[in-house]
Amino acid sequence: MPSRILTARGIPRFFRSIGDGREKVLMKKKIRVVVARLGMDAHWRGSIVVARALRDAGMEVIYLGNQLPETIVATAIQEDADIVGLSTLSGNHMVLAPEVVRILREKGMGEVNVILGGAIPPDDVPKLKELGIAEIFGPGTPIKKIIEFVSGPI
Amino acid sequence: MSKLFNDNAIEEIDREKSRWKKQVYQPAEGVEKVFETLSGIPVEPLYTPAHTAEMNYLNDLGFPGQEPYVRGVHPTMYRGRTWTLRQLAGFGPPEETNKRYKFLLKEGATGINGVFDYPTLRGFDSTDPFARADAGRGGVAIDTIEDMRILFDGIPIDKISTSLVTCQPICNITVQSMYFANAQMRNIPLNKLTGTSQNDFLMETVITVAPELLPPKFSFKLSCDAIEYCTKHVPRWNPISFAGYNYRESGCSAAQEVAFVIANATACSEELIRRELSIDSFAPRLSFFLSAHSDFFEEIAKYRAARRIWVRIMKERFGAKSPRSLKLRFHVQTAGVALTAQQPLNNISRAAYHALSAVLGGAQSVHIDGYDEALCTPTDLSSLTALRTNQILQLETRVTNTIDPLGGSYFVETLTNKVEEKTLRLLDEIEGMGGIVKAVESGWIHKEISNSAYEYQQAIESGKMPIVGVNCYEMEDEELPVDLFEVPETLQIQEQKLKKIKNERDGAQVRDALGAVARCCEKDGNLMEVIVESVKAQVTQGEISHALKDSYGTWDPPLF
Repeated sequence: MPSRILTARGIPRFFRSIGDGREKVLMKKKIRVVVARLGMDAHWRGSIVVARALRDAGMEVIYLGNQLPETIVATAIQEDADIVGLSTLSGNHMVLAPEVVRILREKGMGEVNVILGGAIPPDDVPKLKELGIAEIFGPGTPIKKIIEFVSGPI
Repeated sequence: MSKLFNDNAIEEIDREKSRWKKQVYQPAEGVEKVFETLSGIPVEPLYTPAHTAEMNYLNDLGFPGQEPYVRGVHPTMYRGRTWTLRQLAGFGPPEETNKRYKFLLKEGATGINGVFDYPTLRGFDSTDPFARADAGRGGVAIDTIEDMRILFDGIPIDKISTSLVTCQPICNITVQSMYFANAQMRNIPLNKLTGTSQNDFLMETVITVAPELLPPKFSFKLSCDAIEYCTKHVPRWNPISFAGYNYRESGCSAAQEVAFVIANATACSEELIRRELSIDSFAPRLSFFLSAHSDFFEEIAKYRAARRIWVRIMKERFGAKSPRSLKLRFHVQTAGVALTAQQPLNNISRAAYHALSAVLGGAQSVHIDGYDEALCTPTDLSSLTALRTNQILQLETRVTNTIDPLGGSYFVETLTNKVEEKTLRLLDEIEGMGGIVKAVESGWIHKEISNSAYEYQQAIESGKMPIVGVNCYEMEDEELPVDLFEVPETLQIQEQKLKKIKNERDGAQVRDALGAVARCCEKDGNLMEVIVESVKAQVTQGEISHALKDSYGTWDPPLF
């Protein structure tokens, strides 16, 4: 996966570059996506499968593992990310996902779209959109739909 | 020993089958679709005695309660005692979960199956900054022994068995110690306690990785410490439940699920023998936790194959003599990953099929998922419906009438052999790497699971794997017919209790208790021996985890 994994708490301790240079986009800068699991959520399957699909679609993915909003935003800034993808099934989304949006805006990075995937009760979807989450992808979402959203106009 | 069928009969059947296939069996429009199991084993149109002609009945199948236990671990199976109805429950503060346990017991559950919240499973206190949004989510929050007291208050833990879904060794080493210490404080001797804890190092280092992981070899050590402790002091406790269910949820195939649990159990056995325990002192208490996924027959084959592999490893590799060591006993949970958020009531029928496969495969206990689990923690209604589904299976369907009713099915026996072959190949591969701990350290396991998860997803995306309501028979503008569960306020309650305890406890005792943990790490002693005492000084779970991480350091898992 041509992406990097950052796993430590606070400031990331190590980066691992595993780019295979397979897909070089010449005309246009690659879309950079920061993917993180929120808080202490335990489920990595969705985030990894999506990260891999985005990679295969030619994007650069920086995979963070479990993180808190402050670190996710710090990484998005450092990596000049175009979009931030959050994943959680634990139920912590109403607390942590809007915080990512809020801190991004505070740092003047409000143009970075934040998307969310996982087990999100339907009632929470309009509330999250209100709080600035660009799109929510629940269980059963075709990955194609996520790729289309991410590669759309930024 | 003689063959199941005589050679002439087999020849005749084969000949007639070829004729049938040519003249009678005609796939629609002459195009043969590809038929295969969920894990990719090709499936033929028809199975006959020829498929099982090479089998030796007594060696390969035998009788229930006898080697090789393929037909069941108990002589009478469900005619004697049916499977335990063990519904998973846990959420919010322990005060709330205690009420749910009492509710389920009143409604006929025959055991407790307690799950802990995300911070507790990873060894964090509810008040840790990392935990602040997850306290009480996915399970019950436990910070100190006081929480454990509240959780089991009024529940006769000397009479009913308790499963503690502690998942990770770093959680188990403290939470299980709290359970034991709490029993001692209730004047219940440890040898009266019955139950199971999960305690699986693959959960910590591969499946549900979190920030600040212990390195695999230390997580593995903690897991073995608990097994050793229980072997010596809590003889009726199953100190580990190899969590194949969770491996499967994160993407494994059926064969990977079985191979990884057995490789893990093999590694634990080797370590405990190195610690001078005899195989027959602990092996009878090693237990397994498997998934019931959507491929009905493959799952049944999986359970049967797992039993056959286990008995051979125990006998041939470890020289086990006690029949109890040779029996692979397992709890089943229906596959959460197979549930859909779309048209959630459909999940009631899905989970019922899953549970039926578990029972036809000879499970010792079964949890059926709530139909709303793709959306939220199960509500009272969905938990009750799941329990009732289990009861209908047990009381109305009469599948319990005879033992291993699918034994001898040409198809099921063939599939059992195929799953066994696939699993043995994986076990050889892991052995070649130096065992499961090495396979985790190198990231091989992570990669295997991630590849399977990706393939699974691709199969759904391409429509190769139909999922009703997701990639076929979708309904637009579907109104969700369910009330969703909301986790009760947890953080504030835990915060208040922790504050009070930290104010009132004896500081010197706490320092001594944590000092004892650090010294035990240094001299490589058995940590559970120390922690069962430490938790009585009101030391928090997070404090003990910090002491362990200070001694052992942390580990960054490889990229999937």
